[in-house]
Amino acid sequence: MNSPERSALRFALRPLSLCLLLQASLLAQPASAQEPIVQMPPALERAQELLQSGSYLAAIELFQRVDSVDEEAGLLGLSKALALTGEYERAIETLEDAISDYAASARLATQLAELKRATGQSSEALQILDEIVTGNTTPPVRALVQYGSLLQYNGRRDEARVQLEAAIGRYDAGMVFDAEEIAMVAQASWLLDRFHDANSLFSEAVRLDPQNLEAQVLWGDLFMEKFNVVDAEQSYNAALEINRRYTPALVGQAKISGGERSLAFALDVNPNDVAALETMATLLVMNDRAEEAVEYVERALEVNPESLKSLSILAAQAALHERFDEYAELEARVNAFSPGNARFYGDLADAFGNAYRFTEAVGFARQAVAADPNYWQGHTLLGTNLIRLGEEEEGRVALELAFDNDPFNVMTSNMLKVFDTLEEYATLRTEHFEVRMSQRDARVLWPYMAPLLEESWTTLTAKYGFEPEAPVLVEVFERTDDFAVRSVGLPDIGPLVGICFGKVVTLISPQTLDANWQEILWHELVHVFTLQMTNNRMPRWLSEGISVWEEREARPEWGRRHGMELVRAAQQNKLLPVGNLNAGFTGADSNEDLGFAYFQSYLVVDYIAQEHGFDKLIELVKQYALIKEESAMFETVFAMSIDDFDAGFRAWVDRRVQEINVYVHTEDAADEGEAHGHGQRENSSAVMAELYNNASLKQHMRQRVQDQPRDFQAHLQLGIVLFKEEAFDEAKVHLQTAHDILPDYSGYPSPSLVLSQIFEREGNQPARLEQLRIMLQNQQHDDDSTVLMATAALESGDLEGARYYMDRAVAITPYRLDVHRIGAEIARRQNDPQMAVRELEVLVDLDVNDPVEARTDLAEAYLANGQAPEARRNILNALEIAPSYQRAQQVLLQAVDATQ
Amino acid sequence: MMHAMRTTTRLTAAARLALTLGLSLPATLLAQGADQEDVWFRGGPEAARHALIITGAAASDDIRARFSQWSNSLHDVLARDYGYSADTITLLLDDGTTAGANPRVDGSSRREDIESAVNRLQQTLQAADQLTVFMIGHGSSTDAAAKFNIVGPDITGAEFATLLAAFRQQDLVVINTTSGSFEFSAALAAPGRVILSATRTRAERYDPMFARYLIEALDARAGDRDKNGRVSVLEAWTFASQSVQGWYSEQGRLPTERSVIDDNGDGNFSLEPSASAGDGSLAEIAYFDNHSAGPQKSSPEARTLLAEMQELERAVFLLRGQKANYLEEDYWTRMETLLIDLARKTGRYNELP
Repeated sequence: MNSPERSALRFALRPLSLCLLLQASLLAQPASAQEPIVQMPPALERAQELLQSGSYLAAIELFQRVDSVDEEAGLLGLSKALALTGEYERAIETLEDAISDYAASARLATQLAELKRATGQSSEALQILDEIVTGNTTPPVRALVQYGSLLQYNGRRDEARVQLEAAIGRYDAGMVFDAEEIAMVAQASWLLDRFHDANSLFSEAVRLDPQNLEAQVLWGDLFMEKFNVVDAEQSYNAALEINRRYTPALVGQAKISGGERSLAFALDVNPNDVAALETMATLLVMNDRAEEAVEYVERALEVNPESLKSLSILAAQAALHERFDEYAELEARVNAFSPGNARFYGDLADAFGNAYRFTEAVGFARQAVAADPNYWQGHTLLGTNLIRLGEEEEGRVALELAFDNDPFNVMTSNMLKVFDTLEEYATLRTEHFEVRMSQRDARVLWPYMAPLLEESWTTLTAKYGFEPEAPVLVEVFERTDDFAVRSVGLPDIGPLVGICFGKVVTLISPQTLDANWQEILWHELVHVFTLQMTNNRMPRWLSEGISVWEEREARPEWGRRHGMELVRAAQQNKLLPVGNLNAGFTGADSNEDLGFAYFQSYLVVDYIAQEHGFDKLIELVKQYALIKEESAMFETVFAMSIDDFDAGFRAWVDRRVQEINVYVHTEDAADEGEAHGHGQRENSSAVMAELYNNASLKQHMRQRVQDQPRDFQAHLQLGIVLFKEEAFDEAKVHLQTAHDILPDYSGYPSPSLVLSQIFEREGNQPARLEQLRIMLQNQQHDDDSTVLMATAALESGDLEGARYYMDRAVAITPYRLDVHRIGAEIARRQNDPQMAVRELEVLVDLDVNDPVEARTDLAEAYLANGQAPEARRNILNALEIAPSYQRAQQVLLQAVDATQ
Repeated sequence: MMHAMRTTTRLTAAARLALTLGLSLPATLLAQGADQEDVWFRGGPEAARHALIITGAAASDDIRARFSQWSNSLHDVLARDYGYSADTITLLLDDGTTAGANPRVDGSSRREDIESAVNRLQQTLQAADQLTVFMIGHGSSTDAAAKFNIVGPDITGAEFATLLAAFRQQDLVVINTTSGSFEFSAALAAPGRVILSATRTRAERYDPMFARYLIEALDARAGDRDKNGRVSVLEAWTFASQSVQGWYSEQGRLPTERSVIDDNGDGNFSLEPSASAGDGSLAEIAYFDNHSAGPQKSSPEARTLLAEMQELERAVFLLRGQKANYLEEDYWTRMETLLIDLARKTGRYNELP
């Protein structure tokens, strides 16, 4: 039927539907109160409408009244409605009561078999389907597909193929007409890995009947399996627009959003929905709430003791905590109903990958593909986890095999595209690191990254007494999407800017980053140590806490200074118990929450280092390599319970809050940071004061400082307003007061920055520079100020100072032309040919407008550095463009003399 | 003053360069590609150079100030660094109201002022003189016509092309820095003309930054890439084009303008012109100023050396043009031999009286 025909039919039926509604309402009246005047409408149609729209209880009532003519359809509807509300036993009983011969009642019996399978009675389900298929010359397509699916689940793949092919053959013979059956044929194609056909058939099914909820959701599930969340969401939403209580669609939506709301609603509708219970459990595991997850899994297993997903969640927990007997028992349980199920091992590989246990993840992925070499997602999991171990070659082979057989898997194709990007990248090496980066970064960034890598190695190996497995692979991506795909397989990764997998580090290039790339690199390299020290068993809070703590240790201006946020958190009692610090990460609802989770973790590490000693920190790290309770680890290291440790930490924080001694007004928002805590933190209230200063704001802030003399934010904002009004003297007083209250404030704008602007306006250059110097002690992201300071130092002959600020600028952006011009000038004045070469090599790349001059300068530097062949090559490049340029000609002749 | 009439001999890019440098060419080289294209932009020191700057109507006071500042800067740079004078620069600025206060301004960008300026230039310019037209302001482009927004009714590309048709005997450069400039510029393309457009599609309709960087390229000869003390149209375009891309990159914005050149008259503008590509060979030898010969050396050896240097320089250009036809190592060996020889001869030449 084509679309216009379908539209016309729908239009013609509309008055009838209204009529049915009226009659249905009459039906609801007590029978004795009013006899029907006209003939009763068929209850079946109304019941089906109610089922379709999600009024399951009303539908159940009406299906029970369906007369004998429509008995089969009524029973099907009734059993579906019962199943959708979780009354599986009643649904099964209803069908069993009605069926005397499975083959003769094929449709009802198929439904019964599906319910049996859904409740963990797969043997009986198989028997029923076998009778249907063998007892009918043309069994229903649905029966063929369900039988094929169950046989496959049972490990009887060849027999399964026969049934699934038979269903597809029926479609090919033109004997499948309605949407439900076409969707079943689609599922058969899907089970046989014919993903393209499956997609086309689902499309045909929903085009034929957009109201078919099952087809919509199955289509969505196919997309989800391929990580195509956009199309999956469209399918789930289409189903939910028709029936917002359709639990399979709600579960699909929850898998996309990761939110618990849809699942809670689904479980309201059907408290026994196994998929909803399992999805909830999966989310809880991901949020480090495994104990709660187990409760949901147990509920799911009560309904369906053969639920693969539930058993794989339990098995993963057992294996992660090395409860090997329990794991073996669960594995055997799965093998009893689905021998050698590849997905079971795939789920385990996924769980271990998510827990950063990549070696074990690879092991399970290998088991998965050994069990079923056609389990393409298994190859993807194998490839992904191998890459995270730095085994790129084998990882790529696995991904290519997966892609060749399942090109619709978005994760696989994304990962392979990153390999294409990497092929264009340069591979560079130091003693302990192998680094991939774009050709441009290889020229501009690498000269500054290489020494930092080895500095980190020397510093951290000495400090932690541990030498990680080398070389550590570092990949620096220009495109955020490539970074995200390489890291997690999909392009959306949120605010992350660097990830460490233990032996592999992925980073975003400073070209696409507004943060200090050196601090980020150092932070991730610390993870290399702590993760490898614990065989990747490090909890996130401690790993992040140590990495943040080591930032400040590496460079005094690095690290996070969240004094105001600490005071605010203490006021609001937001500090988490030490035993539950991971919840700060997993339960973060905003970047601000996440930023504070990092900061609190840092504080705990700082507390350990200051109050218990750095050795205790290393002892604690080593504890995490063992399988034991966290409380026992604290007991071993600190000889006290984790609660006592927490009490000590809180007392230390209280002292720290008192030392900071700043008043935090409830009306002020926290500073907002970018780049996952590595970027500049913006003081939005102060920025607003800069932009929209006015009399009322001034008056309000005056009142605040009168009420609370240590109100930092009020002093700062008042200083800004007064500066804008050119009341410089009074502004200076408030800005200086603000600085004295929080001398290490690192947000933007800071009191020192505004003071420097005042001195600039007053023409007081020394005072301006002094304020910038103060600001830059704590503010690491202002490249304009660092360049200004470097230039000023150079002008005054302070070459050491110039070099210091030039290095600071490079840490923010190595791509500024002026930074390297300063560098080249410092090198010239310090007679440092090596530095001159480094700076001029970068300049050659950056100075696109004057390549001849840049190349001539570089060639001169090469000569001075004893690199005559390089000088000769470069000067030829210059003279090729400008053959008559006499300075370059002189350099050429000198280079020729030097090489003869 | 003698002005060469146009011939119908096509020269390779290297040959044109050699002519520009005042070098003699072997007959075989001159014969290559004969009868294919006219010779343009070979005016010697005697050829006059004129500039016509037309700055259209602005959409706001801020933009007017920016256009005005660019126009005045361009005027001053041409006068200071390129030997132009008030007589050889015609500035038609907006509605011309600043004409009294601003001695640079010669009139408004009304159509009648433009036509009158063009007529005047037509009377003044001799064959082989060079006219460079700078267009600053807003442009627009629809299916019906591409327009330059001047004061009063806008002027279309076709109408402007008709006006410029008068300059058949002169070397013509048009630098259209307006928004949506592409189709307007395309209407001006013709053999022997160098046409620069700040944009390459109709969709690029936001005000471009190209004019700013073009002026920077000219200012103090910053765009002089080959260090010969002169700025060619191709060099200025390269400087401006790269600077524009850098500006967008620094701002973290997607570029909304990509400048292009047509100088072979086919109206197919190039994003990456070069002397060896379809477009770029004329722009490479079209300079904003005249070549002034340095102080003459008196010794006979100096004159001989100069001729040899010029020959070597020409050989470098020829080799560079044939780079794709050599293996890399072979290319650089040959190039180095020429450059060492040139450097030694230059050194010797400088020592001679």
